[in-house]
Amino acid sequence: MKGSDVTVSGISKSFGVFKALKDVSLEIKKGEFFSLLGPSGCGKTTLLRVIAGFEEPDTGIVGIDGRDVSGLPPDKRRCNTVFQSYALFPHLTVFENVAFPLRLRHVPNRLVRELVIQHLALVQLEAHAEKKPSMLSGGQKQRVAIARALINEPSVLLLDEPLSALDAKLRQRMLVELDSIHDKVGITFIYVTHDQQEALSVSDRIAVMDQGKVLQIGTPQQIYENPASDFVARFIGETNIFAGLVASREGGFATVQCEGLGGILVEANGEAPIGAKVSVAVRPEKIRIAAEPPGQLAELNVLRGVVEEPIYSGFQTKYIIHLPSGGAVTVFRQHANWSEGVPDLRWKDEVYLSWSARDSVVVESDAK
Amino acid sequence: MKHNLGSSYAAPQALWLTVFFAAPLAIIIAYSFMKRDLYGGVLPQASLEAYRSLANPTLLVITLRTLWVSLAATVFTILIALPCGYSIARSHNQAMRLFLVIVPFWTNFLIRIYAWIAILGNEGFINDLLRALGLTTDSVQFLYNQGAVILVLVYMYLPYAILPLFSTIDKFDFNLLEAARDLGATRMQALRKVLIPNIRGGLVTAVLFTFIPIFGAYAVPLLVGGKDSYMLGNVIADQVTKTRNWPLASSIAMGVTLLTGLAAVIFAATSSRSNHHVEEDSGIGSVSATAGIPSGGQA
Amino acid sequence: MAEKGHAKRRKGISFSDFVYGAVIAFLFAPLVVLFIYSFNNSRSGSWHGFSFIWYEKLFMGSGELWHAFRNSVIIALSSALTATLLGSLAAVGTSRYSFWYRPYVKSMSFIPMILPEIIVGVSLLVFFAGVGLKLGMITVWIAHTTFNIPFVYLLVSARLEEFDPSIIEAARDLGATEVQTLLRIILPITMPGIASGFLTAVTLSLEDFVITFFVAGPGSTTLPLFIYSAIRFGVSPVINALSAVMVVGTVLLIYPARNFLKAYAAH
Repeated sequence: MKGSDVTVSGISKSFGVFKALKDVSLEIKKGEFFSLLGPSGCGKTTLLRVIAGFEEPDTGIVGIDGRDVSGLPPDKRRCNTVFQSYALFPHLTVFENVAFPLRLRHVPNRLVRELVIQHLALVQLEAHAEKKPSMLSGGQKQRVAIARALINEPSVLLLDEPLSALDAKLRQRMLVELDSIHDKVGITFIYVTHDQQEALSVSDRIAVMDQGKVLQIGTPQQIYENPASDFVARFIGETNIFAGLVASREGGFATVQCEGLGGILVEANGEAPIGAKVSVAVRPEKIRIAAEPPGQLAELNVLRGVVEEPIYSGFQTKYIIHLPSGGAVTVFRQHANWSEGVPDLRWKDEVYLSWSARDSVVVESDAK
Repeated sequence: MKHNLGSSYAAPQALWLTVFFAAPLAIIIAYSFMKRDLYGGVLPQASLEAYRSLANPTLLVITLRTLWVSLAATVFTILIALPCGYSIARSHNQAMRLFLVIVPFWTNFLIRIYAWIAILGNEGFINDLLRALGLTTDSVQFLYNQGAVILVLVYMYLPYAILPLFSTIDKFDFNLLEAARDLGATRMQALRKVLIPNIRGGLVTAVLFTFIPIFGAYAVPLLVGGKDSYMLGNVIADQVTKTRNWPLASSIAMGVTLLTGLAAVIFAATSSRSNHHVEEDSGIGSVSATAGIPSGGQA
Repeated sequence: MAEKGHAKRRKGISFSDFVYGAVIAFLFAPLVVLFIYSFNNSRSGSWHGFSFIWYEKLFMGSGELWHAFRNSVIIALSSALTATLLGSLAAVGTSRYSFWYRPYVKSMSFIPMILPEIIVGVSLLVFFAGVGLKLGMITVWIAHTTFNIPFVYLLVSARLEEFDPSIIEAARDLGATEVQTLLRIILPITMPGIASGFLTAVTLSLEDFVITFFVAGPGSTTLPLFIYSAIRFGVSPVINALSAVMVVGTVLLIYPARNFLKAYAAH
């Protein structure tokens, strides 16, 4: 593996009265594709810039491969950055943009040609070498920025929301390309984004951030299936949250008494004692919706409700179901003719919702 | 931020302007408080004589006249420049219309004044025409009076008013006028109540870049003005070169500078307030950013 | 650019267009008159037939005029050069960095532009007298550089404002030193602003009358000063011819230069 470990410990950074980062620590393993995910203003870009060396933290250390690089300027850290605005030099051709770092070091011409063509090939832009940035599309500019950042052979590549300026379809394609470049080059990628779909699809691990703090670090599956808090559960994908008190524990399960809904069976994944206040999250796609009640199964939670709003989006319909107790539940249903065919559910229909206890996740409790 | 580098880059200019701009001004300020040396120059003695001399009635008359001429010229200029700026902003070929306004100003400053001498003078075009048509036998005196001065000043300063006005009007959202019409305003009402308030920044810039240089005018009154159009700028020049009463020249200059400073402060106050409106632009960049237009207080 | 609203389908000419047309006629008329009179075969105002006689006098018999012209060119180029150097450098300094006297630099650059020239000219005259510097080409050069600096500074600063600051960070990230960043990145990108500033400075310098009037010495007559002495007492036909030549020459020179600059700046 050619990448580096990156360690960040106790980093705090304020801009005036605004605390952008509050005592952030994390460890990124060499060769990982690691994402910093969070809403605008959560501090993810600031953290990236601290790692890169463009911002000096108020406290804390940045370490690369065990060495403290906190005092080093950006070009001495073996990191390179792909900027959100691409930051291509408008007066230089694509070739010269990518060659720029080499020209600075007076690398001989022949070697420059070789390396530049190699890196342009990596991003499939050899044909555009003589164009100026103003003649390129967004996706092309981004690829030039990547090639330029890689030509110095850094051990860590930092990407600051590189896809945010591209349209949806292009973003999908570029994401796949980024992933393949990561595989080919093998170095550590630290990727900043506010788009959880992006983070989920390409990352090895994700750090979810909000208001200057890291809320959870884990693989995409861990983050999605076992969100550590209410915020994470809501930020990643869509979810339903039920609040209640732990009523009993039995076997590997617990019952949470939720107002108006009765008892909800959850998989006991924590040590919340009886009587503790907890939030239970259930993802919409895990809930089955039908006109008739399901057969009795031990681990099943069942609720009755009325269809309030079906929202059709081609491959699925999202239902907002109103419960007699006054709350609402979101359910996703994909359209495929499983053996029982596709039930036709419309507005004001009475339906039964059911899901497995194993799909109920406790995300926040005062026992944590 | 590396503190050294920025200051090193800016140091040469700062030094130059301090020595050749700030220091001379400081000297003028100092001289205004000194005693006059009868053979020209100053004596190193503090004195308020120069300021007391300002109470001279002739000087007062000249000051009022300068104010009157400046105001008249400014008002005419702005009144004409407004529809021009509007016309250019609304046209489909802005570049061409701007070009036409700017081209005459690529000719030499003096030549433009001279052109009016050639037209209005006793041997000039108009008199020539009048004689040829048999309407007069002697020449009519068009030059060397206040009217000529105001006319030529308006001629010289139109672009300084047109450009910032154009720039601001261009950034104005004309849908607002349509909305006003839709709500029942007449054309005039819409212009008065919607357009004018929203181009305040450009108006202020235009007024300042017209009034201030005109107030300090020297060359135009010198060449096309007569005894009744002698302005403050001429007084200062004469006090320096002919009468050699440098303290008096300095005190008058101080007065003019103070007025200029006051106007600039008003400008800064109104334009920074108007900068909070995202769509408004004071147009100051346009005054000199059009390369080739001579700017500044030359008059 | 602001919305223009619906296209106006009006018959006839709107009031503002009429005023505009009248203004253009007003602006051009005197120059056209000069142009016509430059071919007048007589000294006085009345038209006596077409002739090139004044052009002859212009090109053959006016040694002083050409001397003044030469002085003007020398001063214009040298003062524009100095002003461009000082102004561009300062613009880079104030746009990228903050330092203790930055507000001073910014306000110093603004004030000379709005102060009436009579005051600037007189203060420089007094200054030169005070330090004992004899009036001549040097003093004119100093004065011209001084009033040119603010315009260069403004134009280059404006260009620097449009600069994407992450480009500088990218350059540093990729290993550029301060000097390399300046020469390879900032300079080329700012070049249209610098060129524009230089051109403006040359124009202002060639134009200048009031300030030059006070700081020029006997041997350092510039073209405007020469014209002034020729016209103070009335019509001078040679000046008519000179005017025509200057107008045509300026248009022929500047128009392609500006087009070139616009195309250059578009990249």
